[in-house]
Amino acid sequence: MKKLISILLVLAMALTLAACGGGNTGKTEGGTTAAEVPALKDIKVGEDYQDITATVKVLTDRTDIVDTVYKGYADAFHELYPNITVEYEAVTDYSESITMRLTTGQWGDICFVPASVSKDQLPDYFIPLGSFEDMDAVYNFASDKAYDGVVHGIPNGGNPAGIVYNKRVWKEAGIDKIPTTPDEFLEDLKLIQDNTDAIPLYTNFAAGWTMGQWWDHIFVSATGDQDFRNSIVHYKDPFASRGDMTGPYAVFYTLYEAVSRGLIEEAPSSTDWEWSKPAINRGEIAAMVLGGWAVAQCQEADAHPEDIGYMPFPITVDGVRYATSSSNYAFAINKKASTDNQIAAMVYLKWLIEESTIYQDEKCIPARKDGEMPDFLSDFEGVNLLTNNAAPAGEETLFDDVNNEAEAGIYNDDSVIAGVVECALDGSKTLDEIMTEWNAKWTRAQEALSVEVNQ
Amino acid sequence: MKQAQAPTLQDKRTFREFINDGRTQRVLVIILFMLLPMALLITFTYLPFVNMVQFSFTNCTYTNPGKFVGLKNYIDVFSRDDIFGTLIVSVYYMAGSLVQLALSLFFATMMVFGAKGSSIFKACMFFPYLICGIAVGFIFKFFYYRDGVLDTILHLVGVQNCPLWLENKSINNIALTATSVWRYTGQNMVMFLGAMMSVDTSLYEAADLDGANKGQQFRYIIMPSIRTIIVLNMILSISGSLSAFEPPYVITNGAFGTGTFFVVMNRIAHENNKVGLASAMAVFLLALIILVTIFQKVFFKYFFKGSEEDTNRPCKDQLRAEKLIAKKAQKGA
Repeated sequence: MKKLISILLVLAMALTLAACGGGNTGKTEGGTTAAEVPALKDIKVGEDYQDITATVKVLTDRTDIVDTVYKGYADAFHELYPNITVEYEAVTDYSESITMRLTTGQWGDICFVPASVSKDQLPDYFIPLGSFEDMDAVYNFASDKAYDGVVHGIPNGGNPAGIVYNKRVWKEAGIDKIPTTPDEFLEDLKLIQDNTDAIPLYTNFAAGWTMGQWWDHIFVSATGDQDFRNSIVHYKDPFASRGDMTGPYAVFYTLYEAVSRGLIEEAPSSTDWEWSKPAINRGEIAAMVLGGWAVAQCQEADAHPEDIGYMPFPITVDGVRYATSSSNYAFAINKKASTDNQIAAMVYLKWLIEESTIYQDEKCIPARKDGEMPDFLSDFEGVNLLTNNAAPAGEETLFDDVNNEAEAGIYNDDSVIAGVVECALDGSKTLDEIMTEWNAKWTRAQEALSVEVNQ
Repeated sequence: MKQAQAPTLQDKRTFREFINDGRTQRVLVIILFMLLPMALLITFTYLPFVNMVQFSFTNCTYTNPGKFVGLKNYIDVFSRDDIFGTLIVSVYYMAGSLVQLALSLFFATMMVFGAKGSSIFKACMFFPYLICGIAVGFIFKFFYYRDGVLDTILHLVGVQNCPLWLENKSINNIALTATSVWRYTGQNMVMFLGAMMSVDTSLYEAADLDGANKGQQFRYIIMPSIRTIIVLNMILSISGSLSAFEPPYVITNGAFGTGTFFVVMNRIAHENNKVGLASAMAVFLLALIILVTIFQKVFFKYFFKGSEEDTNRPCKDQLRAEKLIAKKAQKGA
């Protein structure tokens, strides 16, 4: 009797194990051909695909608004397409977690493409949304996630890079026009320090990622050259001083001098990001170097949204001002999802970027080229809003390769810029010494990867 | 003449008898019970470790398998200042673990010799160990902030010029080590207390009669009895100090020279995407911890030599006599 029971128990356990293994095969029947899933531009939202029933899962990094604003979009879309349900899942520590989730292939349907997926890997993870020519005619920043003439991800709008500032405090200090060179900016900060109680420049050092915001300025804003992000890999000593206060050197000169002249907060190691937003709103902080997405957050943080302004980074190249416009995270659709899910996801995506209120809410440059521009960009009149060009064919991954090999950290490591602040605080290295070190790292990487140095 | 009890080669047992035999059953039970834990251990620890060693010889990233580069990653680990130099920060944590050891021994001894309200003290001191490391990091982040908890307390007692605890390079590592000491002293103390309870109280009475004071009682009675636990604690603390991660990562993110080996390894893996180099760093750390552990064991063997005799193991003569008896018994049977 006991033997019979034990045999039955073993059989039962074996069966449950088999059942648990078989449950996942439904979803992984992916790998649909492009012929079944349409191109983004061909979908007519509201008319096509009314009969598809699917649950679209969207992964996002916006843990702050996922249950409020984003749910609002999901509900509004559900009214239009009652058969399609959109679910949002917020992921904390987005950039690290999403990279690991992508490798499983079963993470959902729409996500923001992380920086760790290089361009040649886009076709492995995400379906094509359309050809580059077609997408570029209609949408901004189409080149961002394009590979081999095909666009795999559509950026969720874009932002110009600049500096958030409090207009009232700057006026109180006696400044009547925004600075155009690093030295003018530093002088203005000194005026603010002398004439008002506000902290001239708040670095938000302790948060870490806020230091990474300075990377946005070293390409178009600093040089006026849309191709600099690609040609930098061929430069000899790209971080060296150019003598005319342009180039990456000028950006870090601004930071280094602001820190060493004491124009920042008293204790950088104790900064508080959540406090800084209402503080700049109230006028306790005069300026912060952040991307355009921060303007909306600072305006809503306290009672004075009209005081928040956004100025381009103070560098002038041959008498002309430039500002890098970069794309936000790009939406992309899972290659390994089922066909129905992919089509439903495409319809939702098209609705979101064309017909929803997402760009009014986020206050950024919209995805469509003919979309409405936000009004806080009034200080950018006369400034060229240019994007960084796509890499030339054959060199798509070269920038990432050299950047990672050199551990230069451009766009992905904030501690490198934090190091500039630390050296400025205790005077252990001059700016020239730091830039020489960075140049040496860059040269070593160029040699290791056999990159031609011709500029 | 006695009948042979054990089965000889001529006796063929059936499969049934084999399975039912007590010895076989014991072996089967052991194997079957170990199967699941071993499977989990191999899948989640050993296999990934083997993979990691393989990665350390390539220049792979999270998404790109990379190519074989031989020992280049290991040479980088040794030659790069920003990697190898972080081991100096670990020295602070090692010193901290010595302080931790001293403090916990002191408190444990106080409890053993009878202190009022010792159970409340035990609970309070043990409590920090239960808090998750990240939470401890956040607590101390706000503790050490400019005008944070510590600054406020010092202002109340009249100290006006507080240094910048997290920026000042001469004290920031000490500040971070203090958080680690705060966290683990209680747990060490409870461990030592448990070991000290096993010491026979009549020994204390005898020592009192002989005129020994508390300090001498500690040194000559307690220390030798709990030496195994002390050695174990030292090994764990020193290995832990080499791989210290949570305090520097959460409180300062490795800024201002507080970055330990682990923090730099995390940055290289996740921000510079150099998984190959990070794997080499991890393997190097493992080798270092093994070396340090071996060194400590040898050191303590000589340090404690002569202070206790192993009364459990019989001496050599006794062993030899037992062997002779066993042999005679076999011949005689």
